[in-house]
Amino acid sequence: MDISNGVLLDLHRRMVRIRTFEEEAGKLMEAGKIPGALHLYVGEEAVAAGVMVHLRDSDQITSTHRGHGHLVAKGGDLRKMYAELYGRATGYCKGKGGSMHISDLDLGMLGANGIVGAGPPIAIGAAFSNKYRGTDNVTVCFFGDGASNEGTFHEAANMAALYKLPVVFACENNGFGEFTRQERHQAVHDIADRAAGYGMPGIVVDGMDALAVYEAAGEAIARARAGSGPTLLEFKTYRFFDHVGIRGMGVIYREDAEVLQWRERDPVGLVETRLAEQGILSPEAAAAVHEAALADVRDAIAFAEASPFPEPGALMEDIYTVSRGVA
Amino acid sequence: MRPTVGILANPASGKDIRRLVASASVFDNREKLSIVRRAILGAVAAGIDDFVYMPDGHGIVASAFADIGEDVRFAALDSPATHSALDTTRVAERMREHGVACVLTLGGDGTNRAFALGWRDAPLVAVSTGTNNVFPKMVEGTIAGAAAGLVASGQVALHEASRQVKVVHVQIDGEKDDLALIDAVLLDEAFVGARAIWNPARLRTIVLARAEPSAVGISAIGGLLHPVPDTADVGLLVEAGGAGDAVIAPIAPGLYSSVPVREVRELALGEVVEFVGPGMLALDGERERRLRPGMVARLAVRRDGPRAVDVPLVMRLAACRGLFRVAQSEATDGD
Amino acid sequence: MTTIEAPATREIPYVSAIAEAFGQLMREDPNVFIAGEDVALYGSVFGVTRGLLKEFGPQRVVDTPISESGIMGLGLGAAATGLRPVIDIMFMDFMAVCMDEVVNQIAKIKYMFGGTARIPLTIHTMAGAGTSMAAQHSQSLEAWFCHIPGLKVVMPSGPYEAKGLLVAAVRDDNPVMVVNTKTILGMKAHVPEQIYEIPLGKANVVRPGSNFTILATGRMVSESVKAAEMLVADGLDVEVIDPRTLQPFDTETVVQSVRKTHRALVAHEAVRFGGIGAEFAAQIQEEAFDYLDAPVGRVGAPFTPVPFSPVLEKEYMPNAEKIAAEVRRLLGKQA
Repeated sequence: MDISNGVLLDLHRRMVRIRTFEEEAGKLMEAGKIPGALHLYVGEEAVAAGVMVHLRDSDQITSTHRGHGHLVAKGGDLRKMYAELYGRATGYCKGKGGSMHISDLDLGMLGANGIVGAGPPIAIGAAFSNKYRGTDNVTVCFFGDGASNEGTFHEAANMAALYKLPVVFACENNGFGEFTRQERHQAVHDIADRAAGYGMPGIVVDGMDALAVYEAAGEAIARARAGSGPTLLEFKTYRFFDHVGIRGMGVIYREDAEVLQWRERDPVGLVETRLAEQGILSPEAAAAVHEAALADVRDAIAFAEASPFPEPGALMEDIYTVSRGVA
Repeated sequence: MRPTVGILANPASGKDIRRLVASASVFDNREKLSIVRRAILGAVAAGIDDFVYMPDGHGIVASAFADIGEDVRFAALDSPATHSALDTTRVAERMREHGVACVLTLGGDGTNRAFALGWRDAPLVAVSTGTNNVFPKMVEGTIAGAAAGLVASGQVALHEASRQVKVVHVQIDGEKDDLALIDAVLLDEAFVGARAIWNPARLRTIVLARAEPSAVGISAIGGLLHPVPDTADVGLLVEAGGAGDAVIAPIAPGLYSSVPVREVRELALGEVVEFVGPGMLALDGERERRLRPGMVARLAVRRDGPRAVDVPLVMRLAACRGLFRVAQSEATDGD
Repeated sequence: MTTIEAPATREIPYVSAIAEAFGQLMREDPNVFIAGEDVALYGSVFGVTRGLLKEFGPQRVVDTPISESGIMGLGLGAAATGLRPVIDIMFMDFMAVCMDEVVNQIAKIKYMFGGTARIPLTIHTMAGAGTSMAAQHSQSLEAWFCHIPGLKVVMPSGPYEAKGLLVAAVRDDNPVMVVNTKTILGMKAHVPEQIYEIPLGKANVVRPGSNFTILATGRMVSESVKAAEMLVADGLDVEVIDPRTLQPFDTETVVQSVRKTHRALVAHEAVRFGGIGAEFAAQIQEEAFDYLDAPVGRVGAPFTPVPFSPVLEKEYMPNAEKIAAEVRRLLGKQA
C-alpha cells in the first residue's frame, strides 16, 4: 500500500480529533449544556478518517445523523461545529440545524441528516452534477446498516450503477439500527452482498483498521474518479456508545462483553500501535496529538459558550433564497 | 459413535478487495447457504445423519439445516465469536476433540489455513468459495457433501481417496507457530491493510508448498516457471525482484502482472528458509503479520498438512462398489 | 380569453407551451436539465418534453428508473452542487412516494443549514381528475406542499401561465413545484413565442368585476370565468382572480378585490376539506372581515377518493355549474 508518513500521521490526527470532539460533546450533552440529542461517532473513527484523507474539498460527502465525525474528518471548523451544537448564532447553521444538520457546503459536506437513508439519493445527485459539469470530483455517501433497508438506498444504488456515477457508497455497519441488532433487522449480514444486485462491486472491509479503510477507500475513490462507476464498501465497525449519548455499557440490547471485545480493537489504539511499530509515531508524539486535539476542542467549546444565541428575528430568515441565478 | 460430518462456512470469504482491484467473483452468503444445503443433502444421501458446525454469526449453516428433516441431527460447536479467522481455528480444535470423521469447508486457501492451524491433519473436503484458491476445489456442493459422507461413514476409507498435503511451517522466535497451505511470502509492506496481495512490486521472497501453473495467485508465479505439484516431495523458493527475467502471472483473478524473478529453486522437505524483517509476512495470499527489523521467520515445507479428500476419486470408488445402487425389491419396499 | 396581458396573436396548446418553455430554458442556461420517468425517449407520457432529447441529448434530458425518491434526491444533490434541475414527477399522486425528499430534504435544507444552501430546483408534475385514471392518478395535492415552509407552489390555469410560471420557477433559486392540470393540456391560448416570466407570488385578475370575487386555481379558473358568464343573468358582475402562485400567496390582490366586491368564493379541484381554499378563505376573513357581506364560500371536490367510473367522476368534479350554484346559494338565491 502506498502511503506516506505524512498521510499516516494525518489519518491518526483526524481520528484523534473526532474521538476528542465526540467525547467532550457527549459529556456536555449529559451535563445538559448541549440541547437535544447527540449521536456520537466514537468507535467508528477509522472509517471517516480513512475515507476522508483521499478527498479534496471539491469532493462531496453525504452524512448521517451520526455525522460529526464526517465533518471533523473533512476538515470542518471545530468552533463552528460546537457553536452549532450549542445552538448559537455563530454555528455552522446559525443555530438552526444543530447536531443532525451540521453541514459545510464549501467543504462539500452536504449535511448530516436526521432522516435515515436520506443521503444516498442526494449523493447520486451530487455525483450526477460532478459528471454533468465535467469535473472529476467524487461523492462519498455514508450510511449505516439501518439505512441499507430504506428504499432510498436501493433506488440510489440502482441509479448510480445505471448512470455510472462517480459515487462511493460507504456503509458504516456498526451492527445496530438504533437499538435493533443487525440480525434482527435484515436477513443478509454482509450489506456488500447487495452490490451485485445493482451491478457494482461490493466488498467487506475491516472498519476498525484505518489502514484497511484507507486502502479500500483509495481504490474505490480512484475508480469513481476515473469514471468507472460506483462501489459499495461495507465497513464492519462498532458503536462504542449508545445510540444517543455516551453510555455504552449496561444497555438492554447488547452484552457488555461484546462492547469490551470490540473495544479491544479500538481504532484509535489500533492505528497508534501500527504507527508505533513502524517508528512513525512515538507514544510522546501520540500524546501530543491528543493534547492538541483537546486544546482545539476546548477552544471550540469556549468559543461556543461565549457566542450569542440567534436573535429571535432570525426565526423567519433563511427559509427562501432571495437572489436569482438567472436574469 | 455414529459418524459425524463437520461443516464450516467462512462468511467472510469471497468479499475482499480483489473484487475491486481485480475481477474476483463475489460469493454472497445466500449462495454459500445454498452450497451448504446441497452438501448436507449430499451427505445425508451418503448415509450421514449427524453433523456439527461452526456458528458463523451470519446463520449460514444454521439456516441451511432448516427443515432438513427430523432424522438429521446437527449441533453448533460453541466458539467465541471474534468474527475473525480465530473462530475457525478454535472450531477446528473442537471438531478434532469431538471426533468428527470428515470436515467440509467452504472458503478459500485462507479459510482452510485457519482450520489447519487448529487441526493440522484434518480430513477435509474443501469447497472453493474464496478468491485465489489452490487448496479448495471448485466442486458442486451436492457431490462434495456426498463424498464427505462416504468418507466419514467409512464406505470409502480416508486413506483410499485422500492425500496428506504439503504445508509451509512458519516459526518465529517467541511467537506462536504459523502455517500456510500453499504460499508464504515476505512483502515490502508496512501494514496489513486490506490484506490481499495485488501489487507485484512488493514481493520479495516466496516459499511455495506447491507451484501450480493452473492456479491464480502467488502459487502461479512459481508454477509458471517451475511447476511443483502437491504430489512432488519438494517445495519451491522464488526470489522476486532484480532487473533480469520476469514472469507474467495472474496474481489475482484476471490480474496478470509482470513479476521480476531473481532466483527459482526447489526446496527439500524440511529445508529451512529464513525471512528477515522488516517486512510483512503474507500467508496464503493475505498479509498476516509484520516482521520487525531483524526479526527472523523460519519457513520449511513438510508433508504433514490436512488430508485432502479427492472428491472425484471418492465418487468413482462409490460407483464401483455400487454404494448408490438400489435393488428392485428394496426400491419397491421403500415405496 | 383568460389573460389580460397581450392581444392574442399566436395560439398554442398548454402542452406545447410547456415544451417550448423547457427548450428555451435549456438553451439559455446549460445548467438546466430535466430528469424523470420517460421524459427523454418517449417525450413524457403527457408530451411535455417532446423533442428535447433530440436537441439536448441524454445528458440533459434524462430517463430515470421508476424511482421517485431516487429522482427527487438526485435533483436535490444536483441543485445543491450548482445545477438547476427540473424533476418531472409524472402524476402528482406519485409525490407521496418521495415525500421525504420533498418535505424533509428539499424544502428544509436551506433553513437547516443556516441559509448556506441554494436549491434552484423545479418539481414539475400533473394533477387533476377527469381522465378515468381513478384514485391514484387523479389527485390535486397542492395543499400539502403549500403547508411546507421552504417550498413555493404554482398552479398554471392555461397555456400562457404554464409557460410563464414554468420559466419563473426554473429561474428561481428556490425549490418550486409546478402543478399542472392534465385535463387542460389541450387548452389553446395566446402564448408569446419569446421566453417570458410570470412573477411568482403575484395574482392575476382574470375577469374584472364589481360585486363578487371568485378566487380559483388551475382548471377552476376557466370554469370560474364560465360561471361568471352564467351569473350575469343573476345580476352579478363577478371578478375572477387566479392567484397563479399558491405559495407565496398574494393576499393583497385578493383582499383588495374583496374589499370592493364584499363577497367571495374560493374554488379548487382538490378535496374541499383541508384544501388550499380553506387557507385562502381564512386569510380573506382575517384581512377583510369588516368588508364581507356574506361568508366566504368554498367549492372543491367532495371528501372521497377520486372514483373511476365516468359517471361517478363527473359527480366528483367541480365545474362552472357547481361554482355558479354555490355562488347563488351564498347569496340566498336557490337555483
